[in-house]
Amino acid sequence: MSALVAADGLAVGYGPSLPVLTGVTFELDRGERIAVLGPNGGGKTTLFRALLGELRPAAGALRASARCASVPQTERSRLDFPVSALDVVLMGTIPTRPWWRRPSRADRAAARSALARVALADLAERTYGELSGGQRQRVLIARALVQQAAVLLLDEPFTGLDATSAARLEELLRELAVEGHGVLIATHDLEHARRWDRVLCVNGRQVAFGEPSSTLTHDVLAATYGGAIVTLPGEDPAAPHHAILPPHHHEH
Amino acid sequence: MLSDAMLEPFQLPFVQRALLELLLLAVAAGTLGCWIVLRGLAFPAHGAAAAAFPGLVLADGLGFAATLGGFGAALLFALAVGRLAVRGDEADPREDTLTALVLVAALATGIVLASDVFHAAASVESLLFGSLLAIGPGDVRLAAAAALVALAATRLLGTRWLATGFDARSARALGVRSAIPDTLLLVLVALVAVATLTAVGALLATALLVVPAATTRLISDRIASWQLATVALAAVEGTFGIWLAVELNAPPGATIAVVAGAVFALVALMPRTQAVAA
Repeated sequence: MSALVAADGLAVGYGPSLPVLTGVTFELDRGERIAVLGPNGGGKTTLFRALLGELRPAAGALRASARCASVPQTERSRLDFPVSALDVVLMGTIPTRPWWRRPSRADRAAARSALARVALADLAERTYGELSGGQRQRVLIARALVQQAAVLLLDEPFTGLDATSAARLEELLRELAVEGHGVLIATHDLEHARRWDRVLCVNGRQVAFGEPSSTLTHDVLAATYGGAIVTLPGEDPAAPHHAILPPHHHEH
Repeated sequence: MLSDAMLEPFQLPFVQRALLELLLLAVAAGTLGCWIVLRGLAFPAHGAAAAAFPGLVLADGLGFAATLGGFGAALLFALAVGRLAVRGDEADPREDTLTALVLVAALATGIVLASDVFHAAASVESLLFGSLLAIGPGDVRLAAAAALVALAATRLLGTRWLATGFDARSARALGVRSAIPDTLLLVLVALVAVATLTAVGALLATALLVVPAATTRLISDRIASWQLATVALAAVEGTFGIWLAVELNAPPGATIAVVAGAVFALVALMPRTQAVAA
């Protein structure tokens, strides 16, 4: 089975002589959830932009055999906009039609179907800004689904969510993976990452890629986050927990 | 009857023409005004109208169509400065300062040209504050064209303007090409700004372009209903403003602006369960 996404020695940045991220080699298969860990400015967003085709590789190869769709943080969108959840999902259909065409009945049906898939069919007409953080994140996932994307790129989707909303979102991502989607999730949450299939650690370069048991170690995390990790005492003294100090916001 | 007496001003042909002009401008400015407010272009729209002032004076002095001169200057401003504001999350902080600088420069240049170069100081007041009761058929035709273009552009490009304003970076990631639609939005701002000049003048254009849309934004939660409410409000404010101006023998452009401002203040002060602000 060919991978949905394959990077081999990938270097990418904002100019040929200024790669933000180098030496990235990984594959994302169908049904797989990969956590992308790294400090802010470490290259997570740059990697996503390369996968979306916004940035060209400066070196190495990047191959995507399926459409990738971005699921940004909900804070990026205008919560005061006069749009419903359905309007937001319909934005995902814009590139599929000529500029002079308005959303068709089929576009609306697809958008409603995507909202139903994320269990928000009842809130289709609700103003986007009135939804909870978890609901807004699911609307943005529906917007990615309506693009027929097999690869979902989520940017810190659990930030600001309460435990119930986070659990519901994690379950949705698990279901989407089971249905054959590949999911890349940029996060700082080690507890979530521990439960997913593989972990890609980056900090200007690829630090590690593999199963959580081999990547979420003190040495790898120290190389990824430097001094921003702390070790917490756990129930098992032989397996202490690590946590990442809250980052200052900075994108790359 | 009292109602007959109240309607008497509307029997006058020049008032009827002014009313027709304002109703057409209500459609143009009401439709476009919502996009201006939503995309944060209120100040650039004001700047575009002010920038048209020296263009009008220059065209008048050199003997070619004043509307063309005004539109050229407004367009130049909109594309040079307004594009900094229309880029959503990449908004350039220099935009406010540039708009203010150009606004002052445009007004000063226009006044110098009018008084010292072309000796047309008498027309400065009407260019700055409008001459609604002295408009010609050409002004009405321009307002009608602006209304048609604003409606057509909203229908064709509205979803793209909405997606780009909602989250510009995500819109690009979605594959929404915004450069041409956003440029057309700025061209439309310049066109409608120039169309409003004869009615309310370069300094009061925002009374039609921005204030009604900002007022109805306070009570609207969807684009379509917001635009309908804005067109209706601009039409009502314009009609009442003309009537009041005739009754009080006051300048109509300034009277409409005062009415629009008062309505905004009333709606803003009304208690609401949930405030909505652009």
